[in-house]
Amino acid sequence: MDVQKKAAWRQGNIVIGVLALLTIVEFLIAIWQGTAVFLFIIALIKAALVVQFFMHAYRLWREESH
Amino acid sequence: MSVYTKAHTHTPAHDADREHELPYATQVKANRLGLWLFFISEFFLFGALLITRFYLWNVPGVGQTRPELSQELGLITTSILLASSYFVYRGETAITYDDRQAFTRSFMLAALLGLLFFVGVVVMEWNLFGLSLDLFGIEWFGHLRPSDSVYGGVFYMMTGMHALHVISGVGLLLIAWNRGRKGEYSSERHWGVEGIALYWHYVDVIWIFFYPALYLIGKPV
Repeated sequence: MDVQKKAAWRQGNIVIGVLALLTIVEFLIAIWQGTAVFLFIIALIKAALVVQFFMHAYRLWREESH
Repeated sequence: MSVYTKAHTHTPAHDADREHELPYATQVKANRLGLWLFFISEFFLFGALLITRFYLWNVPGVGQTRPELSQELGLITTSILLASSYFVYRGETAITYDDRQAFTRSFMLAALLGLLFFVGVVVMEWNLFGLSLDLFGIEWFGHLRPSDSVYGGVFYMMTGMHALHVISGVGLLLIAWNRGRKGEYSSERHWGVEGIALYWHYVDVIWIFFYPALYLIGKPV
């Protein structure tokens, strides 16, 4: 169980790392006058990461308590 | 016998009542669906605000514009909200494995970061107290007023509606923290934690779209 918990936390660490990286990338893109399309795509990727890994959207189709 | 005692007395009639209760797993599944439907309904509200921003801040001949805001302050508040979402994830994971100490610690940290985000937007960006501070080359207090044409109006509407969700989320996180501290959640039964975590992540998702819309997209005017 401890191994599973550590694996879940490691997954969280990776996701927050990617989110931080994407936030910095979008900040730099904006400074270099990047297009709105790029910024919107990055926002979509970030939202998808949160919905999938933090909000566990896949649980909606599962019959489980917790 | 008091009314309270009567209501909590274990009787055969009470057992009969419980027989009609749905299994906990089914209840949780229904709760999840209900919460996601609520998120979809909220999406229409925030989506309308986003459309308003792109419609009103579009200047013919120039394209998309945005008000001149402190880029660093926007980046800092966004990072704080992302970090708080991360701690909520850690807290929810902890309670899934009955680690109550890690749960309470993570949720308290998440609530404090949420509060810090709220202060960053409402006190500093809105500049409620009319302050001014330029430190490390960063403008720490905003200057945009709600009456500053469509820029002020839209900016305050979007950040205000989001801040309302943030402050209610902070309250919910603290309620979950308090209940967790009293041992009311377990690895088998913690819908309260999951529901509040979902809500907090949703608030984060909304800001993921609001941040570039308010701070990054368009020509500063």
